[in-house]
Amino acid sequence: MDSTQLTTLTGVIDKKMNRQLKQYLDICARCAICKDACHQYVGTGDFKYLPARRAELIRQIYKKYFTKTGEFVPALYEARDPDENLLDELYDSTYACTGCRRCMYYCPFSIDTAWILSVAKAILIAAGKGNEMLGQLADAAIFKGDNAEMFNDVMVSGFEDIQEEVRAITGNPNSQVPVNKEGADILYVALAGAHSIRPAAVIFEEAGENWTISMFEAANYGFFYGDVEKARLITKRYIDEAKRLGVKEIVVPECGHAYRVAEFFYEAWSKEPMPFKISHILEKVDQYIKSGRITVDKGLIEGKVTYHDPCQLGRNGGKFEEPRDIVKAVTDNFVDLTPNRAEQWCCGGGGGIVAMEEFKDVRLASGIKKVEQLKASGATVLACPCENCRLQIEELNEVHELGLQVWQVIDLVVAAMPLKGTKPTHV
Amino acid sequence: METYLWITSVWGIYLTAVVFFGGMAWRIYQWATTPKSPVRLGMFPKPKSGAGRFGKLLADTFIAPQSAKIEPTMWIFAMAFHVAALGAFVGHLRLIREFPLLPAWLGEAGMNTFAAWSGSIAGTLMLVGVLFWIARRTFGPYKNLSVPEDYLLLFLLLGVIVMGDHMRFVYGGVVHAATYREWFVSLLTFKPEIPAELLASNVGVSLGTHMLFTDLLLMYFPFSKLVHAIGAFSSNLVRSE
Repeated sequence: MDSTQLTTLTGVIDKKMNRQLKQYLDICARCAICKDACHQYVGTGDFKYLPARRAELIRQIYKKYFTKTGEFVPALYEARDPDENLLDELYDSTYACTGCRRCMYYCPFSIDTAWILSVAKAILIAAGKGNEMLGQLADAAIFKGDNAEMFNDVMVSGFEDIQEEVRAITGNPNSQVPVNKEGADILYVALAGAHSIRPAAVIFEEAGENWTISMFEAANYGFFYGDVEKARLITKRYIDEAKRLGVKEIVVPECGHAYRVAEFFYEAWSKEPMPFKISHILEKVDQYIKSGRITVDKGLIEGKVTYHDPCQLGRNGGKFEEPRDIVKAVTDNFVDLTPNRAEQWCCGGGGGIVAMEEFKDVRLASGIKKVEQLKASGATVLACPCENCRLQIEELNEVHELGLQVWQVIDLVVAAMPLKGTKPTHV
Repeated sequence: METYLWITSVWGIYLTAVVFFGGMAWRIYQWATTPKSPVRLGMFPKPKSGAGRFGKLLADTFIAPQSAKIEPTMWIFAMAFHVAALGAFVGHLRLIREFPLLPAWLGEAGMNTFAAWSGSIAGTLMLVGVLFWIARRTFGPYKNLSVPEDYLLLFLLLGVIVMGDHMRFVYGGVVHAATYREWFVSLLTFKPEIPAELLASNVGVSLGTHMLFTDLLLMYFPFSKLVHAIGAFSSNLVRSE
């Protein structure tokens, strides 16, 4: 391979090097205990999806260019150049990875394969092999941030439509979807789409919350794409908005990576302390229910209900109990999946994979564990607080004819609230 | 044979000590001077207190309960190997000085019997562990994951264990700890000598080969994946950050 490209790609590793990465690359024993942890390897049996193998590709470059033993005896480590062969396999194994970190949970050394793959993504991008779809979606989000006024009118009129729907549900003509409200306590950063805003608005309004809706969506394709600068700019859109409006707290919607980005990544990207409290919407809803700010009735939800922990919210975000408490507050007929919480199987839809058509086959095959879990639970209703999980599980639901209703948790809550208006049907 | 022993079991050991301790120090220095990851890489459930984190670190590193849950077979063999290796290491401390108390309780014959049993068990478990790993790497469905480094280390370990077992099983009743101690303490005091008892039988060949493999294994140790022996502590600690 030509030396300029080689210098560029090894330069990426050098720039991204940190203690954890170095240790992960130095200590992996290739014991392959991770093989049974990965839904993609289990679902496909394809060697390239074995977590240690994904990391091994980066290790091969690292050994050759960052260690003396690998430099002198590359054959000992199968150390090699980041050539086309390596990059092609790396593309598949990296962009297919949902970043669920289930392999890290079971690893005797807690090696974070997803962290190693964040370097893999940077290498692929530097080699001009970043995933185009994710890159374009990220650029579109940044464009929207740079040209916010261009989108203002259409956004505001969209929020007005949602406000009408909210009033129909609450039966209260004063219910609002506040836009650009200075001095609000909470900035709710939703997902693109009324489904993410409507039930949240009903709950905030019924709880008497002082909130306002963000002009920007919480989804972050820069994060999935693997470009830290793009990811930072996308998040910065609502951080700046929150500063401008003077809110105290940013609430992220039912989206796994949005919470992790805001709570765990943004400080590192922006190199400044997060000036706001970050909450997941289900933390707020759980508090509203427990403090009596909203009322929910058991018995309004029909069927046996189960709950799927999105990896970024559960194992990687620590929100295991709040969503469960909410679900248990709206039904007595609750059953947990097995395994659950930190050991929950990834549904196979994370990491932006649902947006990449080329990985459809591996994505569906990787959902087999989730399908088995759902069948074994005997549930007819699934509460799932993550958009990507829902898209994946709805597709699995169709393919495997599970006959499952897949709900957002906030939709379940609204359905269980005794409101004067018209009951929303399940979307 | 005397020359062989001087190379592998005197000068080889001095060289190994320099490479091993120097290499490990260099490895730790490299890790310590590389800046920490800017992102907190912990996962949940996460202990809230410092003591809780420390406890979890010890449990994750020494017991690996999650690994046990997902692949019990591998865990049993790995655990057996590591515990046996620790036992063998403790047993080898007799090379420096005799254990306190035990010989007084057991008497000289009793101590030899105890050493024979514990050494045999540890040596057998380690052998079984290494053979299991070789088989798992060679015939497992994910054998493509293995690289020559893995086989080299297993080969060196096998050499160390087989020759150690050879000394334990064949010469265990002939040559006792006191003889080896004479040799090892002479190394530690930088007045190296090889006792006549070691040259009187073929035990010298076994010792020389045991040490040859040990020298090679320990000299490669700091530059191989075996640094997980120290790296696992900090990587497991990151799990709670």
